[in-house]
Amino acid sequence: MVILDLMRLMATLADGAAGQVIVTSAADRELAEKWCTRSGNTVVDASLDASGAGTLTVRRGRPLDPLLVLGPDRMPGARLWMYTNFHCNLACDYCCVASSPQTPRRELGTDRIARLARAAADWGVHELFLTGGEPFLLPDIGTIVRSCATLLPTTVLTNGMVFRGRGLRELKSIPRDNVALQISLDSATPELHDSHRGQGSWAKAVAGIRLALGLGFRVRVAATVAAPVPGELNAFHQYLDELGIARDDQVVRPVAYEGLASEGMVITRESLVPEVTVTADGVYWHPVAATDEDALVTDRIEPLAPALDEISRAFAEQWARRASAAQLFPCA
Amino acid sequence: MREPLIVGAVAYTPNVVPIWEGIRDYFKDSGESDTAMDFVLYSNYGRLVTSLIAGHIDVAWNTNLAYVRTVMQTDGHCLALAQRDTDVGFTTVFVARSGSGLTGPVSIAGKRLALGSADSAHAAILPLHYLARAGVPASDMQVLRFDTDIGKHGDTGRSELDAIESVLAGEADVAAIGSSTWEAMGRDELMLDTLEEVWRTDGYCHCMFTALDTLPAKRYTPWVDKLLAMDWDNPEHRRILELEGLRRWVSPHLDGYKPLFAAVEEQGVDPRW
Repeated sequence: MVILDLMRLMATLADGAAGQVIVTSAADRELAEKWCTRSGNTVVDASLDASGAGTLTVRRGRPLDPLLVLGPDRMPGARLWMYTNFHCNLACDYCCVASSPQTPRRELGTDRIARLARAAADWGVHELFLTGGEPFLLPDIGTIVRSCATLLPTTVLTNGMVFRGRGLRELKSIPRDNVALQISLDSATPELHDSHRGQGSWAKAVAGIRLALGLGFRVRVAATVAAPVPGELNAFHQYLDELGIARDDQVVRPVAYEGLASEGMVITRESLVPEVTVTADGVYWHPVAATDEDALVTDRIEPLAPALDEISRAFAEQWARRASAAQLFPCA
Repeated sequence: MREPLIVGAVAYTPNVVPIWEGIRDYFKDSGESDTAMDFVLYSNYGRLVTSLIAGHIDVAWNTNLAYVRTVMQTDGHCLALAQRDTDVGFTTVFVARSGSGLTGPVSIAGKRLALGSADSAHAAILPLHYLARAGVPASDMQVLRFDTDIGKHGDTGRSELDAIESVLAGEADVAAIGSSTWEAMGRDELMLDTLEEVWRTDGYCHCMFTALDTLPAKRYTPWVDKLLAMDWDNPEHRRILELEGLRRWVSPHLDGYKPLFAAVEEQGVDPRW
């Protein structure tokens, strides 16, 4: 009797855990679903043959509300990432989108970014992130950031190494309100950072952080660290404290097995809470997989709203199916 | 700072840990040091009661049988502190296959009666007590016992499901199960074509927070007051209340244990393990 099987199964499961029961007919399945509804448990998957017999996967308890678990700022569609370009003055050996000086630019374009920002604001996006490549290689990056920041809080990701000449003029032209700079720095001393990003890059990044702070920008520092040795992260945070970076603006993230990385966390669409990402090639599930065909949601960039709708819908389905499996990958 | 009150409970499901972590957090979040608590989990109610009497814990979350045994072992030197609303008016339900034609206690005479674990008050001890009071002594039935969760006092529900399986398999005519199990199965709403209710006992009480009478009132009173203040309409409280199976905590209803005291005496149930 399927109800007895379900009760025995539930007695072994912690709240939120899932297990399977066999159903022998469509009527059995219907009874199982009624019991789950009545008892506050959730059928999350059904593998059935034409007669209705097969296996049901049932999770103990009601589905978790992603809004409560993730918070409103991490819900799909709360953030929109835009890859302004893909070329970069560096060729970091773990770059998740394989950027380098030789990488084709694939720019989104100033006008299109402005339209996308407007569409995002209209849809209900809370926050914009501009990344690359190195956005400050673009001659009109100041204009791009201004068009975004007038609508929504905007973060620009940069290696902080090109704040001179035209890059410095563009930086100075950016409003301080509603804008944060996220500068990459992997360690408290040059060795680790330079081993991935190139000789002398640590010193230039630190100089960029100091310059941006001096100009009055809110600066967030993000480290990409594969396997920190004991004490490494502590030393890193202490160093950032000394630089004047607020603790909430000190981000440490793992290496993703994407792009140029030869090792790192294996990322799949099913394992990630989406952060909608637009590149010149299309709309992707997450910025860490912005060149991964498996993460491409649509190659149609505009209008943006259908892609935002589709990703929200797909995530809701995914959450219902595998809520416990979806993870945040904190790029920012 | 005052030492936290230590509450003991039995781990009968994986959810016991989140339940008690949630309850502990509820007392911790209040920020009142005189209600702070921690918990200790035991594998069976025998060990829980022994630990309470030995002074290893301040309060035991007892089943009705564990409460009665605590009273018997301490010669009444214990305190009932609080219970769930669902512990009041608990009943035992006698179920048979649909269309059995059985109705009322007398119809069970001469039949094969499936009982749960011998230390389950609701699925073994009280069914025989109520049937005897209704004129059907155990000697008038063929009693089949399913002692599949001994030590847990029937909390797992496993032995009751085994008893029901035996009815469905035609190996028994009637099974005695707790009203909470019958409700959890979906009773006549979902079991209409499978099982039917033959008879139901009067209400009695189930679980009870129990302390020794040597525990000072100033130690337990703030804790009990705070416990009774848990609010179903507060989503954080409700998650814990749902997992533990209640809507609100209530003050003790001691009359509800009289049938079990009587049953334990009639059946010679050992006051110890």
